[in-house]
Amino acid sequence: MRRLPPFFPGSQRPLLIAGAVAAAAAVAATALAGGGGSSDGRGAGASATAADGLRHTSVEVSEGGCGKGWAHPHRGKQVFDLRNTSSRAAEVYLTNPVNGSVYGEVEGLGPGTTRPLRVTLGGGSYAFRCLPDDTDAVTGPTVTVAGPARGGGPAAVPVTQQDLIPPTIAYQKWVQGRMGELVRRTDALRSAVREGDLAAARAAWLPAHLVYERMGAAYGTFGDADGAINGTTAGLSGGVRDPGFTGFHRIEYGLWHDASASSLRGAADQLDKDVRALRDSWPQQRMDPADLGLRAHEIMENTVQFELTGRTDYGSGTNLATARANLDGTRAVLDRLRPLLTSRDPGLPEIDSWLGRTRKALDAAHQGDRWTPVDRLARGRREKINAAAGALVERLADVAALTDVRRTR
Amino acid sequence: MSEVRRRGFLWGAAAGTVGAVAGASGATAAARAGDAGPGDAGKAAGGEAAARVPFHGGHQAGILTPPQRATAFVAFDATAEGRAELTELLRTLTARCRFLTTGGTPDPVGITAPPVDSGTLGPQVTADRLTATVGVGASLFDGRYGLTDRKPRRLRAMPSFPDDDLDPDWCHGDLSLQLCAENTDTVLHALRDIARHTRGALQVRWRMDGFISPPRPSGTPRNHMGFKDGTANPDTGDARLMDRLVWAGEHSGEPGWASGGSYQVVRLIRMLVEFWDRVSITEQERMFGRGRESGAPLDGRHEFDTPRFAQDPKGDIIPLDSHIRMANPRTAHTDDQRIVRRAYNYDRGMDGNGNLDMGLLFCCYQQDLTRQFETVQKRLAGEPLVDYISPFGGGYFFALPGVRDHADWLGRALLS
Repeated sequence: MRRLPPFFPGSQRPLLIAGAVAAAAAVAATALAGGGGSSDGRGAGASATAADGLRHTSVEVSEGGCGKGWAHPHRGKQVFDLRNTSSRAAEVYLTNPVNGSVYGEVEGLGPGTTRPLRVTLGGGSYAFRCLPDDTDAVTGPTVTVAGPARGGGPAAVPVTQQDLIPPTIAYQKWVQGRMGELVRRTDALRSAVREGDLAAARAAWLPAHLVYERMGAAYGTFGDADGAINGTTAGLSGGVRDPGFTGFHRIEYGLWHDASASSLRGAADQLDKDVRALRDSWPQQRMDPADLGLRAHEIMENTVQFELTGRTDYGSGTNLATARANLDGTRAVLDRLRPLLTSRDPGLPEIDSWLGRTRKALDAAHQGDRWTPVDRLARGRREKINAAAGALVERLADVAALTDVRRTR
Repeated sequence: MSEVRRRGFLWGAAAGTVGAVAGASGATAAARAGDAGPGDAGKAAGGEAAARVPFHGGHQAGILTPPQRATAFVAFDATAEGRAELTELLRTLTARCRFLTTGGTPDPVGITAPPVDSGTLGPQVTADRLTATVGVGASLFDGRYGLTDRKPRRLRAMPSFPDDDLDPDWCHGDLSLQLCAENTDTVLHALRDIARHTRGALQVRWRMDGFISPPRPSGTPRNHMGFKDGTANPDTGDARLMDRLVWAGEHSGEPGWASGGSYQVVRLIRMLVEFWDRVSITEQERMFGRGRESGAPLDGRHEFDTPRFAQDPKGDIIPLDSHIRMANPRTAHTDDQRIVRRAYNYDRGMDGNGNLDMGLLFCCYQQDLTRQFETVQKRLAGEPLVDYISPFGGGYFFALPGVRDHADWLGRALLS
């Protein structure tokens, strides 16, 4: 079973975790959505049309009998009821044995358990691949489905942990390259606060915040630091007066709500310290390669949920600037994943197209460093932004699905 | 299989698949007698939940279809850029509506994407007498899509009538979508599916959900004021009458592409139910012109008795300013002003003062906006009932002609 690393541990944006879990659950739900009668003990090899209107074929999953029971191959939408007759849990893929692409998977099929795998097959060669826990993968016999190949799939070649290491390292380096600027701009904010120059502090706040907002894919690795640096009041009983409310948004709240410079000094000092600690510790951090694809999707989910709604506005009215920074951050991840995606995601050109459209819609909302607050956008403008960002996250979701780490051996 | 392998708006044909035609792959759905033509149903099995209203036809379903119990009425703004994208949008919308109203098994996507279906109806999408009725608003015919010279002759933005208190956030839209089904989950599943597949091309402008109550105890269902609502609807089974009252086309002065469409008027009407409950029964009944319990006209005994206005010229029995008398005077002169009502009750919680926020999601269809709805609406101006209601939103739309077959799509004649 896939385990997602904690996202934003200790942060005040728990919904992202929920999103990730939901994504995992959704995958499980697809696998489960095979209709009744799948675990009724029909013997391997039985082929019948079940209540869901689809043809069902019972197939064995074990080290010695991977794929056994697939006696009457046929094209079209169908269900394989996979029964694990071995003593260990296993992953099961239905693959094209020639190029290794996967048509469907059931993860964590427990011993004695039957679960449905729904696929659409065109003519071609197929083989089940069984990957029992703690032991080598086994490929079952190649089965030939007669007829034209069209209409089958979709399928993709799985992405392994190994595949994801180079882009993850490259992304980590990119983040490293931003750390200097983050510290420099946060320093400037702190200095302005310390000098009592609130106008300068307001001017320095956004550039510093945006550097941070561009690093969206790394937050999971930042750990608790993210909550301290960029948390909101969500989950804090005391709201904006809660001592746990720190970082950029705490300072934003003060700067745009007539706080005195001296009252913000502590928060600015703390932020500066936290940001420096982050920079100093970053070279020792190791991002989980499994994170990268998820982040390519979820940075913009966050944007849709927290920025385009104005939820995280504590007075500066710069949610759209943040959205724009998040978009840059998404592109930074995608660019590094691109070599893995070009062969796997036929929707990649459209992702690029919607990235461009989202950028264009956001760029129409500012003049220089003056950004229109979300709630003051004209309806048409706001609709364009929401539509483009919405279309984008729909497609980025595929990146997360495709780059989910899978075993192949 | 002639499946339209299309995942959504601008998703391309290659990436992911959605079975637009589920019947071919063995959808289990039963046609309700009289609803589906021969060959339209999949395997005859299942029960009420699988009943289908045919999607294909010269007119869209959901106009004359006997009202299902649940609805969501949604107005969208189009964010598609240019004519080609609008076309793509309408083709996607057609494919989704065809699938959802037919039912079937969503296509598997393997490891390439999250599941294409929300799963809220279980592994199989049941039709549940779902209808999806798509209309276009006057704003779609502005310069964006090169359609300025194709606007239905009478289509314009809904004006504010004297008794209205319109909130711009709840008015108009480029596109309307009326989803109706026997169960709320079916309606919501369809809305979620359609919104997902058209993401990028459409943004919801406003939405109102509604329901039809069961008959209490019999006859036409009641509205929140306790009165039966829709008793006097024209006979929708009378094809010639419908050609005269509902369907627009060249015979009613519309452009050729509009043949088989119909003007759709939606009005969101808050009912001030607390105030209404403080009105005596006699006054309530005189405002409507009908008995509250039976639904009969005040000069009759049974709901479907015909009021005899001619024999009551001074309004001694049914007041001259009663709703039924002003709305439908039942004269030869007003006969072609009749509309087909398809109203739902709505309930959306409380207002800021702790009063119940409920009312009528009024929807009607007609051949001619001016001759029918507007004439009636103007006649109703100042009726006593207006003190207890507050129309705050809605819009004018033109329900597109029907989708004839698998090759056809909503708006094809408009955009081709």
